[in-house]
Amino acid sequence: MTPTISVQQLSKTYEVPEREGGFSAAVRSFFKRKYKDVKAVQEVNFNIEQGEVVGFLGPNGAGKTTTLKMLSGLLHPTSGTANVLGFTPWELKNDYLRSMTLVMGQRNRLSWDIPAADSFLLNQAIYRIPDDEYKETYKELDELLELEPLMKKPVRNLSLGERMKCEIAVGLLHRPKVLFLDEPTIGLDITGQARIREFLQEYNKRTGATIILTSHYMADVTALCERIIIIHHGQLKYDGGINDLSKKIAPFKLIGVLMENADAHDLSQYGEPVENMEDADKKFIQVKADEVTRITSRLLADLPIRDITIADPPIEDVIEQAFNA
Amino acid sequence: MFLIFKRLWQVNWAEQWQYRANLLMYLLYWLVSPIIYLAVWTSIATANGDVKGFTANDFITYYMVLLICDQVTSNIVIHTFGYKIQDGSLSGELIKPIHPMLTNALVNNVAFKILTMFGLTPIWIILFFLFQPDFSSVTLTGILLAIPAMMLAFLIGYFQSAAITALAFWTTRVYSIHEFYFALILLFSGQFVPLPLMPQLIQDIAQYLPFQLMLYYPIQLILGNLSTEQIIQGYVMTGVWLVISWLIFNWVWRKGVKKYSAVGA
Ligand SMILES: Nc1ncnc2c1ncn2[C@@H]1O[C@H](COP(=O)(O)OP(=O)(O)OP(=O)(O)O)[C@@H](O)[C@H]1O
Ligand SMILES: [Mg+2]
Repeated sequence: MTPTISVQQLSKTYEVPEREGGFSAAVRSFFKRKYKDVKAVQEVNFNIEQGEVVGFLGPNGAGKTTTLKMLSGLLHPTSGTANVLGFTPWELKNDYLRSMTLVMGQRNRLSWDIPAADSFLLNQAIYRIPDDEYKETYKELDELLELEPLMKKPVRNLSLGERMKCEIAVGLLHRPKVLFLDEPTIGLDITGQARIREFLQEYNKRTGATIILTSHYMADVTALCERIIIIHHGQLKYDGGINDLSKKIAPFKLIGVLMENADAHDLSQYGEPVENMEDADKKFIQVKADEVTRITSRLLADLPIRDITIADPPIEDVIEQAFNA
Repeated sequence: MFLIFKRLWQVNWAEQWQYRANLLMYLLYWLVSPIIYLAVWTSIATANGDVKGFTANDFITYYMVLLICDQVTSNIVIHTFGYKIQDGSLSGELIKPIHPMLTNALVNNVAFKILTMFGLTPIWIILFFLFQPDFSSVTLTGILLAIPAMMLAFLIGYFQSAAITALAFWTTRVYSIHEFYFALILLFSGQFVPLPLMPQLIQDIAQYLPFQLMLYYPIQLILGNLSTEQIIQGYVMTGVWLVISWLIFNWVWRKGVKKYSAVGA
């Protein structure tokens, strides 16, 4: 079976006109523009099977949005190939556009000046959704996202989170087989985020849709994705299970100790001290996974320890380390 | 497909309706120059008896019909679409399974037209009573022939403006390019003065250009001033320019979409 999404050596270099300050520079640039190359995505490869939910992670400017724009067909790559559902996305074939969706921030599918309800109906027509199917999908979306109270107001009067809900809903009316979601929970409150997550999980289970999502909220990723792809400076840094990440990238454990008179003892000889953990009473050190037993017994022997815990480092930290690897 | 256009219409109409006050201002602004030309030429012709054979009534009827033709054949696609390419808001439309320029933007233009038509009608009636034109040369056949000619001419202008708008994929200077295009229309379409009053050179050039098809030709059709031969010639020219304009638009659009950098988010 061919994968639903397959990406080979995909690269995008933006040409950004360079504007220097000053009058003479402005005159010069009028005749000969200088361009600077921004390598946003560099020779990225991955395959995604049908039904997978993949978290696409990386720091600001890593190239996530650029990759999603290429996969949805908005951008032509500088080089490389991609195949989604048997189509080359940037050929913008109608059959392809009808089977995928890109949800990207605000102001995408919804017209600013009119109530969302009208945009929904327009999209029904554009995607040729039969009436009964439309009603059914709308009902499902409404149950999960509580759309009904938002539908009659002009979109410009909706709050950030309300607008995001409507954007997601309108992007899913045609029941796409592939979803590209660029920060789908941005700007939502905790309940809103949880709702969207729940909804996506349900949608994926029910329809077998393939989902790539980016998010800066780790909770989204840990809740939804078994697999993550990390990119940094446009290059692929990691592709694999979210649980394997700490083994591969950061084979560390956190040891937390609770002791009498904690400040009197210097833990740095045992491992790298870690600040700011949730448990304020304990002191934490980070040690290599294969040294955990040895160091734990040393700690127990040397110090007046009342309680000791051994845990995986939080996924945020692991990913942070992966970015910088 | 019908449903798509129906719903596009509802959305675009609702959008334009929200801006009806702006629209009225735009209409008044647009009306100023033809009405000035009308007043100036009419008074010159009245004083002199005629201008190169054009009587006062010829001028009045010419500009009165021009007001309608210009309304039908002009378009505002550069204003409603250019910014979308530049600020990235085209993204949402580009990945929908319909062509944004040939559906949404087109319907938007038509909605705009119909709304401004409502504004124009009372003004036109007032002008009618003010200048009391003699429309006796106008025939039903002339009007029936002019309607398809104007619709096709609208499409010619629309594709040309759309092609210029699509240059926004490359440059931020599309608005000045479009201003230049407007100047060509002003010069060669008969908008300024009836073409026979223009220097011979301009008349010679104008007859091969598409611009007179947008105004001068349909005006003459309505006023019943053309021979059968001239009518056929006009329609042939319209057909040829429609094809050329379509091909140019299509070519520029395809190249442009590849250049699109989808800024934002
Ligand atoms: N349209 C554009 N023109 C020029 N450069 C761009 C454009 N879009 C993005 N870039 C640059 O390409 C790089 C990658 O940007 P991209 O938007 O893909 O990052 P991202 O991973 O989505 O970041 P974030 O987490 O902040 O959303 C950045 O350096 C950015 O400045
Ligand atoms: Mg981004």
